[in-house]
Amino acid sequence: MLDRSAMGALALAAALAMSVAGAKAFDDASYPDWSGYWLAFGAARGSFDTSRPKGLEQQAPLKPEFQKILEASIADIAAGGQGNDPGYHCGSHGMPRVMLALEPIFFVILPQTTYVILERLSQVRRIFTDGHAWPVQLPGASVGYSIGQWIDTDGDGRYDTLQVETRGINGTRVYDSNGAPLHPDNSTIVKERISLDKSDPNILHNEITTIDDALTRPWTIMRSYRRHPAVWDEYVCAATNEHLAIGHDDYLLSADGLLMPVKKGQKPPDLRYFDAPQP
Amino acid sequence: MPYQGTTGALALVAALALSVSGARAFDESRFPNWKGQWVALGGAGNAAWDTTLPPGAGERALLTPEYQAVFAANIKAEAAGGPALDPTSRCVPAGMPRVMMAVQPMEIVITPGITYFMFPAFDSLRHIYTDGRSFPAQIEPSFIGTSIGQWQDTDGDGRFDTLRIETRAIRGPHTYDASGIPFHKDGEAVVTEKVYADKADQNTLHDEITTRDHALLRPWTVTRSYRRDAGQVRPEWLEVLCRRDASRVLIGDQNYKVSPEGLLMPAVKGQQRPDLKYFK
Repeated sequence: MLDRSAMGALALAAALAMSVAGAKAFDDASYPDWSGYWLAFGAARGSFDTSRPKGLEQQAPLKPEFQKILEASIADIAAGGQGNDPGYHCGSHGMPRVMLALEPIFFVILPQTTYVILERLSQVRRIFTDGHAWPVQLPGASVGYSIGQWIDTDGDGRYDTLQVETRGINGTRVYDSNGAPLHPDNSTIVKERISLDKSDPNILHNEITTIDDALTRPWTIMRSYRRHPAVWDEYVCAATNEHLAIGHDDYLLSADGLLMPVKKGQKPPDLRYFDAPQP
Repeated sequence: MPYQGTTGALALVAALALSVSGARAFDESRFPNWKGQWVALGGAGNAAWDTTLPPGAGERALLTPEYQAVFAANIKAEAAGGPALDPTSRCVPAGMPRVMMAVQPMEIVITPGITYFMFPAFDSLRHIYTDGRSFPAQIEPSFIGTSIGQWQDTDGDGRFDTLRIETRAIRGPHTYDASGIPFHKDGEAVVTEKVYADKADQNTLHDEITTRDHALLRPWTVTRSYRRDAGQVRPEWLEVLCRRDASRVLIGDQNYKVSPEGLLMPAVKGQQRPDLKYFK
């Protein structure tokens, strides 16, 4: 069976789902072995497009007004700030950034849903593979709402590729820590094509195409992950985060629990209320 | 198959896991159907950990005298502008066993070796290992703890109906509920659970939760219950993002207020200015 149309894939998925419902047996052998934990690798793994250097050299196809936001973010980072990365206050990275997999991710494949579980913040992506259509109203989430199709591209009778489309993504999001922004209109669509490397089953590839109103054209990149033994490690950002916001200003907390500047020459916080007579 | 002891249950689980591993087929019919969206029964009125006890003094009575004093001191400190008793107000996870209050609906995903309890709130994913493993000698504490479970077929109909779980290595600080009832600081609490569907109503799930902790006079057992809508074809899963209270900040062990214009303010009368020595 060669790569098939979406209709064909949907029909196959629906047929499989029906048989599961009838026999109540999930034939694991029909799906690829994506067990274990998957983690990005390589020196450039922190950048959205690992084939290019970080920052402006990513050449994100941003519209001019969004390119200015990126440039300002990079300048702020160079000065010691965090740019416009919402993640350092423990927020969700959202789609598509969560698929950078700088912290491990793992998959739970069931006939009607494939779960992508992210160690960072223990977030769960549900990729519905039961053939249902897009709901009229999407609930809206930083990881969006995902519908997927399993495909048997080489016709060996076993699915090998998961095609995913994600919509309904909301919240302030950037592609990576340098701060290339997505449009705030929350109209982003992300398409993914996930499959094991043909020669190395311990490498998983994810071709990610982002369609966003801040871009001049769809932006396609390839992320790759390496399999690791399955060990879950709770990642609780809020319990260890040393960044602190007071009003609109950012500070650091020292190991001895005192306020510190994040940038050279940063002014201390305004303590006028401590000088005023207290009620 | 009648109710069986730990050894028998483990052997059965191991055998099942082996057959699954060999055939690569997951026989769902051996496990209970707990699919769907489970909503805690009782709603907002069920916010206390133990709804059978009068809030406050009744629950407090279960604490050792030492921890009754700790609890009272914490309440006094919070009233005086100190850190909030409830760590979730700072986006620290509820942890075990409090997460089982299921303030937001939960999903239970059963696979042969692991059962997952998924909650929309951040940092709240439980892995219940049912592959027959033992607790490791050394466990890194986590808010959600490390859980090992055993499936049991209590009525002998050939299908598992009950999941027994033990959870250890729970990281603090954590509390039973928003009132701030504390756990012992030694981090040695052990939580055991018995999860099963109601015999008369398969759309109601019960979790008998027993906590053993050195801050308690005796083990504390409560039953939390959840209900799913059998007619709900496709539940809507909401994402719950923790928003830190921007009107309060914790610097070291001192709690401060933040004014509407974003300036630091004392939380209590006479509070000292924060030490700004790193700005010199």
